[in-house]
Amino acid sequence: MKKGKGMQFVGDSRITADKKKFIPKDYSEYPGKTEAFWPNFLLKEWLVGAVFLVGFLCLTIAHPAPLEGPADPTDAAYLPLPDWYFLFLYQLLKYQFAGGDFFVLGAIVIPGLAFGGLFLAPFLDKGSNRRPVKRPITTSLMILGVISVFWLTYEAAAHVDWEAKAAANKPIPPGSIQVDTESDGYAVYEANSCIQCHGGNLEGASGPSLIGIDYSVDEIKDIAVNGIGDMPAGQFDGTEEELQQLAEFIVAENEDH
Amino acid sequence: MSEKRNQVSRRQFLNYTLTGVGGFMAAGMLAPMVRFAIDPVLQPQGKGEFTAVAQVDEITSEPQRVDWTIDQVDAWYESEVTKSAWVYKQEDGSIVALSPVCKHLGCVVAWAGNDDYPDQFFCPCHDGRYYKDGENVPGTPPNAALDRFQQRIEDGTLYLGKAIPREEA
Amino acid sequence: MMQKIYDWIDERVDITPLWRDIADHEVPEHVNPAHHFSAFVYCFGGLTFFVTVIQVLSGMFLTMYYVPDIENAWRSVYYLQTEVAHGQIVRGMHHWGASVVIVMLFLHTLRVFFQGAYKKPRELNWMVGVLIFFVMLGLGLTGYLLPWDNKAYFATLVTLEIAEGVPFIGEATKTLLAGDPEIVGAQTLTRFFAIHVFFLPAALFGLMAAHFIMIRKQGISGPL
Repeated sequence: MKKGKGMQFVGDSRITADKKKFIPKDYSEYPGKTEAFWPNFLLKEWLVGAVFLVGFLCLTIAHPAPLEGPADPTDAAYLPLPDWYFLFLYQLLKYQFAGGDFFVLGAIVIPGLAFGGLFLAPFLDKGSNRRPVKRPITTSLMILGVISVFWLTYEAAAHVDWEAKAAANKPIPPGSIQVDTESDGYAVYEANSCIQCHGGNLEGASGPSLIGIDYSVDEIKDIAVNGIGDMPAGQFDGTEEELQQLAEFIVAENEDH
Repeated sequence: MSEKRNQVSRRQFLNYTLTGVGGFMAAGMLAPMVRFAIDPVLQPQGKGEFTAVAQVDEITSEPQRVDWTIDQVDAWYESEVTKSAWVYKQEDGSIVALSPVCKHLGCVVAWAGNDDYPDQFFCPCHDGRYYKDGENVPGTPPNAALDRFQQRIEDGTLYLGKAIPREEA
Repeated sequence: MMQKIYDWIDERVDITPLWRDIADHEVPEHVNPAHHFSAFVYCFGGLTFFVTVIQVLSGMFLTMYYVPDIENAWRSVYYLQTEVAHGQIVRGMHHWGASVVIVMLFLHTLRVFFQGAYKKPRELNWMVGVLIFFVMLGLGLTGYLLPWDNKAYFATLVTLEIAEGVPFIGEATKTLLAGDPEIVGAQTLTRFFAIHVFFLPAALFGLMAAHFIMIRKQGISGPL
């Protein structure tokens, strides 16, 4: 008597009558030596794992996980970037054919096709041949995909000044900076419009924070006069004495914190 | 025969090495995490800062409740916490500052909190009682005397620190 | 002693077949780097699993200090990184592990792809693997917000705008993720936290179990 989709069971059990197990090929069919998984092979695997772990721990010690300042929705100057493994999608949306009017194409259709194709690869590439050279279409599509992901990631990353971005976004607990607003240097700081870009407590606004910088007095004097990066030259408009006071004030505040 | 024994010992050797490598990986992974987790246990005890709570000449032989606030830094959270104590002057002029926290289950005791026992501290939760010196009344739920605050007197002002349990029962 | 405990349990629940299945099988030559060095490409799957274990453990420990709340999230991360012993290492492990796991997954995927190991009878396992990849990317995306620093906040803002741009269901998706149609704030953080710590890991564990069971059932694909 057939049940369900033609299934037959042994007596009243759940065991099917026509038991046809899928048994993978025995490795003895492949020429060569096999090895016991436990403990022989696992030992080699764990040795690789141990070396990997040491390298990984060195990485975590050498490069502390970055943390920027607390989220500040009013920070209009902030350049938002996703984590690096989403940079290629981020970059894709910058292009005209994928952004703007074609947003749906760039954000949904292209990634959807790519990842959908990856997901359904076994059904798109149905041939029994496994060698990459014997299935040129599949192989070349994948190589094309990998190259474009690498290239898009590179394009996105190359346009960012990572060091300046990190320097401008130091993690400073809110309310922890209290600069000496009574000093002569602060008066110069206020009078020369430094305050508009670097904030009332040197915490940074449209310009970077001046706390946690590593410049000498002379270097700061030079930057104040000649500018650096996005900061234009000629911002400072005062006497040489005031310039000295300003630079010493900034260096002193950095030593305090 | 000898070959067979050799094989067994090789397998054992591999097993020991495997355990060693596995242990190394587990230790390398877990050591920083465990140290991270138990950090609060290893922190040195706070010195117990003293806060001015009352003028000595205002303290009478009748226990009075005094309240004060301290700035409490709880990791990333800073807050003001209100503390209180029952203080009175003994006959020899020394001051006793008792913690109001009942030693039974941590409710708050009050002096003369029950009309039937006007000369005792009374805990409303389970009718625990203490004598004026903080000793628990035998036969009531608490099994220890009230904690005493560390105290210091400077320029006629009473400063209290941490509440410490009395050693004797 | 250990043997006695093992025997006691084995007598009752018969765990020897389970042990056999996990540990007692032969590994073919073509995946063994000791025979062919090029077989190191077979390590990437195992290393992915190893990093996943590191991620799960370090994540569990991080939640001992972390608070998913916009007032305190950043402060607690700053505290655990600067004040707590080894906090920098534990957070570093979780942060860098997130990147390393993506790299390893990518290499593992490429290995399987170019060897054509996804072909019959392993189609299902390939699909489960791709789903694991998506879940990992989802974990990366939601975990990125949790420290509630500037890069987290603004990247999430962009992500939610992209979600909003999806035709028909975009608005609803965004609100579902952010918890509010307008604000990216308190509710967004708690939602991302819940997704990152409960929903996606649950999915990940299920998928990983399926992945491993299928590997054991089907064996490693033969040499090319």
